[in-house]
Amino acid sequence: MDYMFQSTVPTERRKGEKGLKCKACSREARENGYCELHMKAYENAIEKYKVWQKAMQISWKEYLSEIVKNPLTGEWAREVAESMIKSGEKQDGTSN
Amino acid sequence: MACTRMKKYTFVITEKPDAAYRIALALDMREKPKKMEEKGVPYYVAERDREIVVVSALGHLYTVAEEKNGRSQYPVFDFKWVPRYIAERGASQVRTWIEAIAKLAKNADVFIDACDYDIEGSIIGYSVLRYACDGKDQMSKRMKYSTLTREELEKSYAEPLPHLDFALIEAGLARHEVDWLFGINLSRALTAAAKDWSGKYTTLSTGRVQGPTLKFVAVREKAIRSFVPTPYWEITAEVKINGKVFEAQYEKEKIETKHEADTILNACENKDGKIERIEVKQFQQPPPPPFDLGTLQSEAYNLFGYTPSRTSKVAQRLYLDALISYPRTSSQKLPPAINYETILKDLSKASQYRSLTARLLAYPELKPREGNREDPAHPAIYPTGDLPARVLEDSERRIWDLVIRRFMAVFSEPALKQSMKTHININGHRFLLNGRRILKEGWMHFYEPYVRSEEMILPPTEEGQTVTVKKMILINKFTKPPPRYNPSTILRKMEETKIGTKATRAETIQTLYDRKYVQGEKLTATDLGLEVLEVMERYCPTVVSIKFTRELEEKMNRIQTNNQKKEKVLAEALETLKPVIEKLKENQKVIGEQLSEAIRKSRTDERTIGACPVCKTGQLTVLYSRKTGKRFVGCTNFFKGLCKTSFPLPQRGVIKPLAKNCRGCGWPTVQVLARGRRPWTICFNPRCPLKEGREKRD
Repeated sequence: MDYMFQSTVPTERRKGEKGLKCKACSREARENGYCELHMKAYENAIEKYKVWQKAMQISWKEYLSEIVKNPLTGEWAREVAESMIKSGEKQDGTSN
Repeated sequence: MACTRMKKYTFVITEKPDAAYRIALALDMREKPKKMEEKGVPYYVAERDREIVVVSALGHLYTVAEEKNGRSQYPVFDFKWVPRYIAERGASQVRTWIEAIAKLAKNADVFIDACDYDIEGSIIGYSVLRYACDGKDQMSKRMKYSTLTREELEKSYAEPLPHLDFALIEAGLARHEVDWLFGINLSRALTAAAKDWSGKYTTLSTGRVQGPTLKFVAVREKAIRSFVPTPYWEITAEVKINGKVFEAQYEKEKIETKHEADTILNACENKDGKIERIEVKQFQQPPPPPFDLGTLQSEAYNLFGYTPSRTSKVAQRLYLDALISYPRTSSQKLPPAINYETILKDLSKASQYRSLTARLLAYPELKPREGNREDPAHPAIYPTGDLPARVLEDSERRIWDLVIRRFMAVFSEPALKQSMKTHININGHRFLLNGRRILKEGWMHFYEPYVRSEEMILPPTEEGQTVTVKKMILINKFTKPPPRYNPSTILRKMEETKIGTKATRAETIQTLYDRKYVQGEKLTATDLGLEVLEVMERYCPTVVSIKFTRELEEKMNRIQTNNQKKEKVLAEALETLKPVIEKLKENQKVIGEQLSEAIRKSRTDERTIGACPVCKTGQLTVLYSRKTGKRFVGCTNFFKGLCKTSFPLPQRGVIKPLAKNCRGCGWPTVQVLARGRRPWTICFNPRCPLKEGREKRD
């Protein structure tokens, strides 16, 4: 097959002169290693753990996998939870 | 031809050709106006006390444009009103139209503006009289009517307003000019930023109303995408009363911990219940108010799934057929002057309304229930009483029927309803059984097919009665994200926050779709929409601020009541706009990068069909062959040398990836939209069971 395709990623971007990337996507990271869009999802994930813990007495790890598989979880919140599972990030922001 | 006539005549300008015909028909003594043409532009000559030439515009014939032409330059703050063919491509017909109007107006000595009596209609009439008719705006009279019925048109012709409503015109001009200033500058800033960065042109737009509307959708989208559900539990007791099974809910709707839910469940299982208390309440439900455009659009969306712009178009057609009153109204009032009795009597000529109208006509007095909203120009939407002279399309018939039934309902009595709450005690825990019934239909009888009310009739019970608990049910639920807006709820939100006008709100929502800022019936903000809003919020938060938009709306409304000067409103708007544009220009590079990335992603998403069913890791995408230029579907893993899956595609028509997979084999599907053909769906699986089934049948 002979494809006609073109790079749509601007050169400047590829040179990697930007700051840190978001833990959940390719956007530029702001606070806590997340971009502006994933930041709120991260805050929600941290805050809602208290409710889950009180309701079901589950661990942080169990909680993260519960919200990843829950269909009501928002796309960005799921991405944040997946990134935290992958990195082993705890609810206080530290890693294993 | 009128232009060669020696005799003087009256020149009447209308907004649309259909209205010109209706007006000529009503004003001609013999109800047979002569249809003529000037340069292919139709007009009518009616004979009355004198000759009347009725000609229509084609909506807006004039528009705001920049003083000096420079297509992508910004900022631009100098503007003028010009014929539309100068400012817009594809509006060449407007030139002929203006020339014909100018010729027809030449020998007239009386001028009447008979365009719709609202902001847009007033500007259309004013600009035609001022520019095409050589400054006749100052001597023109104004016909004011809310229906295109013969009686009302004759009356408004016989008793016209002595001059144009200049305050309304000033308000309209201000609105167009302010919107143009914001729209042209902000849109050019975004488009230029993206083009400078990526080298590719994509039309990006935003504006004074579009920005805040996008903000509503984007804020909701962010809340949904960042949402983390939390668990809660509900307990239901299945109880048997007088041989029938009912579901009683635990008094606390949400039980927050599993432990508490288990404790309640264990305590109630295998126990009987006792009716502690029965609360019965009766209440009246008054009829709904008559329709204004917004409530008609909402109701039509809820009942028939029509988008606000579709309802608006259908209602406009019914108005032009003189079947309903002017639909672009924000009034919920029905003044007695419209003559309720005559309308009902006329409607009784249609068999489906005969018995209902007879009931209303038997009332000693006809008094409508009205809502709070007012509109100085028009009453609420009501049927004229005329019956259709042609076979109505389904959508027209539905909207007409809805307007008629709503009109009848507003004159009727309130409905009488009863609610019943039975408190059942099961081993110290209280459960509630709710019932509701309609005791007297009242207005609901008139509005019957459109009433959404479910009855839940409970059997007669007594306090102290024992009930058998058949089963206890524990359900684990999760909190839900806020719902996405639909075309009806976003319209309501715009109305509540008072942004935009009744005539333009539906159009603004459509622009969000056209620009690909939102998609789907439930308005989902796209990544491009989110990026555009983020740029706006970062560099010009005032423009997307609801408060700013509303305040500007209020100022423009004050022009209409002579409490504000147009020049002052324009100066203040420019004061806000100038620093905003400067900031956008300063940050053009960063903005361009941000937007280009979103545009690129949006284009990729448009071409992505779904996961490759062969390699399972790549994505099927629409690609173009370098050799032949032909399009086909290929897997993205081809570039990594992992998958060679490819399928041919039709070379004509638009390919639209469908969000749902094939029901026969689960492979991704596309829809092909080609001119002159019905859209069809393609499943790429050569061994799809649905295809095999079809082949066997053939």
